[in-house]
Amino acid sequence: MTPTELIGPPSPLGYPAPYWFLVTFKVLGFTLHMVPMHLWFVGILLAMIFAQRGDVHAQRWSARLMRQMPVIIALGINFGIVPLLFTQVAYYRVFYPATILMAWPWFLIIMFLTFAYYGVYIYVTGLKDGAKLTTLKRAAGWVSAILFVAISFLFSNGFSLMTHLSAWPELWQETSVAGAPLGTGLNTSDPTLWPRWLMMFGLALTTVAAYTVFDAGVFARRESPEYRRWAANFALKFYTVGLIWFAVMGSWYLSTWPADARDQMLSSPLIILTALAALGPGLPWLLIFFQRRQITQALAILTGLAQFGVLALNAISRQIVQNIELGKFLDVTAEPVNLQLSPLIVFLVLFVAGLGVVVWMVGKVWQAERQPA
Amino acid sequence: MHYPAWYVPFLTSPMLIAIIAILHVLVSHYAVGGGLFLAVETRYAYRTNNKEYLAYLKDHAWFFILITVVYGAITGVGIWWTIGLASPLATETLIHTFVFGWAMEYVFFVLEIISAFIFFYYWGRLEPKVHQAMAWIYAFSAWMSLVLITGITAFMLNSGGWVENKNFWVGFFNPQFVPQVIARTGGALLLSSLYVYLHAAFRVKDTALRDLIASRSTLPALVGAACVTLGGIGWYIFLPESAKAALAAASSLNIFMVLIFVLTIAVFAMLYLGPLRHPNWVSPGFALLLFGMGLAVFSAGEFVREAVRKPYIIYNVVLSNQILPEEVATLREKGYLEGGTWTSAWVRARYPNVVRSQQIDEKALLALPEPDQRELGKVLFQYHCSSCHATTEGYSAVAQLLRGWTPEMIKNLVQNPEKFHFFMPPWAGTPEEAELLTKYLVSITPPRPGGMR
Ligand code: HEC
Ligand code: HEM
Repeated sequence: MTPTELIGPPSPLGYPAPYWFLVTFKVLGFTLHMVPMHLWFVGILLAMIFAQRGDVHAQRWSARLMRQMPVIIALGINFGIVPLLFTQVAYYRVFYPATILMAWPWFLIIMFLTFAYYGVYIYVTGLKDGAKLTTLKRAAGWVSAILFVAISFLFSNGFSLMTHLSAWPELWQETSVAGAPLGTGLNTSDPTLWPRWLMMFGLALTTVAAYTVFDAGVFARRESPEYRRWAANFALKFYTVGLIWFAVMGSWYLSTWPADARDQMLSSPLIILTALAALGPGLPWLLIFFQRRQITQALAILTGLAQFGVLALNAISRQIVQNIELGKFLDVTAEPVNLQLSPLIVFLVLFVAGLGVVVWMVGKVWQAERQPA
Repeated sequence: MHYPAWYVPFLTSPMLIAIIAILHVLVSHYAVGGGLFLAVETRYAYRTNNKEYLAYLKDHAWFFILITVVYGAITGVGIWWTIGLASPLATETLIHTFVFGWAMEYVFFVLEIISAFIFFYYWGRLEPKVHQAMAWIYAFSAWMSLVLITGITAFMLNSGGWVENKNFWVGFFNPQFVPQVIARTGGALLLSSLYVYLHAAFRVKDTALRDLIASRSTLPALVGAACVTLGGIGWYIFLPESAKAALAAASSLNIFMVLIFVLTIAVFAMLYLGPLRHPNWVSPGFALLLFGMGLAVFSAGEFVREAVRKPYIIYNVVLSNQILPEEVATLREKGYLEGGTWTSAWVRARYPNVVRSQQIDEKALLALPEPDQRELGKVLFQYHCSSCHATTEGYSAVAQLLRGWTPEMIKNLVQNPEKFHFFMPPWAGTPEEAELLTKYLVSITPPRPGGMR
């Protein structure tokens, strides 16, 4: 059995918009998803550790992050919808089979997420003024932290299995009844899985560090100068650790790529992108380094933007690698386009109008924040 | 079939969709109606300068966020997760048809969560006008998301003229659209009032305030119930003939319809006698009972809505067993195993000697040893029937339905399922494949129960 035998026919409906449009929204959406996702992936874990063993400032940091966490999670899930939608438009022929082969673990994400999310809310009730972090609440926080890490592993499985078609035939034959998958597979036979997941962990560490600076510079104006100094110091330390981690796992990840992916990503012109994605985190690191004594609002905003750029570069390169890996089996750019112009325009108009409303709402919040409480 | 069929023993995979969908609608309607409740009532409380009521509304807003932003959002994503696993071809089709409908809905989701959080977290820190505006932005966005998703779900029940021209708007404004928007809007109003009674009954100790809440929520509940009824009638009128027939034919659906009818009347009566005439009746017990009845009506309604589409998952567009109606003729000729992406790979890998000049040779299938023939029959069952039937035990288990049947009867059914019951998809394989499936079914069919005279 060759993996290409397992790719079904294209949809007779064609793409509703050109491939570049679909992939742009997919990559943009994933970049947006990564920011909050990194904060819960690694942030909750660190927050739990610091809440238990940190000094006052570390505890303060932990409490600040966890208080924001319900909103962060809501936004992160919401942002995840965009790439998932466009993945299903453009990569459906590999996305559905891959997730069906691991249907139960994939389905488990929803269960885990429900518990993890409520766990965070339970934890946060312990942070209210006058409330106490009881053992139960702490336990809920830990359970959430672990569930989020587990979910991230399942996501890495899903999205790597989607391009690792060579594993499908065996996985399918091992976990099925009369040709129907039981949906109990995972992509653990893929050498790219572990480094890919661990690399994401490293990148998430850097995002947590960058966000700490952003938060201290933009939101935490009522915090003490000592806290802000601590935050600067913490951010520099953790960004450095994240950077090293990212570099080590990134190199490991690269070494597990199929030869053609490596060849293309390491030769002109894509080498430029690879280099940018690899060196990108240097910029936020430098910005954090400059703020090690004092975080300023302008530089903090710049740090946030720079980190967003790092994530965008990462999202773009992983998209290209994804297409190269898939290229052996399927050319996702080759499907006919059946442009749905008027719905597309209505969507774009609503999108712009919606952004306008968001800006208005955030402006009102900004005003409220400026007023003394 | 283009995709692998996910085998969920006992339950069948589409039942998972039904379960998650029911779990979701019970909250998603509240997410719409509750938003309107908060907008209207906050306005009222500000205007009458009722501090206690405002305090209650803040408390309610917190409950609302906990339920809708977490559970509602996750189960909503959960439906999408499960339809992709259980009905991939239908999902593929819907997404290629309506991706921009979902994208529009998404814009409103973003507005919903941002306005909801600001509304709650900045309570008392915004000017009353701005604060109310947040609630109205939320309410409008939530209702728009209801309208947008209803266009898509209603399409599944009656795709109308879309089949001819494949036009987005024709599909979106399908015959079921208006009735379902009315019914769902009504459902949102009704259900959210039930949530309000429940929440207030448990949280508000002050009887005067509780009576105020109860009486103010009654009008929306009654209007909502009326809209549900009106929309329900429209829903029935614009059902395709097959769905009307399915509704009349299936005994379980009959029971559900009677249940819906009786419970709706009971809810009406309780609303009238309780909150409207005797607001002080709204105790925790009363509110729980009313709430439970509301949930039961909604669950039954949702189940019926899912069930009457058979044999389609999208009316006239995709069959329940994940094939397109226009593929049936070719599959009958070429063979179901040969025509399916995964089934054909399976046969080629397991039984290479039945492949002659690149094709599965139908005659050679019947020359295989009996156990292999039964195994292939089982493959056919998984890919042709298992979206609606469990095997030996469980949901509509085929072995139980066949108990006591003779092999000839079984073979007749296999070759003509759509003639036995119009709500089964037509047989889409060769006569040889029908033989294989029959052999498998015969092997699992239990005998007629003993002890009967
Ligand atoms: C769209 C869903 C669907 C599919 C697909 C489907 N069926 Fe059915 N089938 C039904 C329903 C609904 C009933 C009625 C069940 C009941 O009364 O409990 C039914 C009834 C039956 C019965 C009992 C018939 C009788 O007269 O009592 C048999 C046997 C059966 N199906 C076999 C099959 C076989 C074999 C296949 C695959 C070739 C199949 N079904 C595919 C929905 C389906
Ligand atoms: C239900 C809400 C969520 C949705 C809709 C969602 C969606 C997505 C999508 C579509 C991608 C792939 C993007 C691409 O390749 O273009 C992705 C990647 C990822 N998501 Fe999420 N996500 C959600 C929640 C989470 C949660 C709770 C976690 C937990 C940490 C998480 C962690 C990840 C990780 C680690 C990846 C990268 C996987 C990899 O490719 O290795 N996501 N998510």
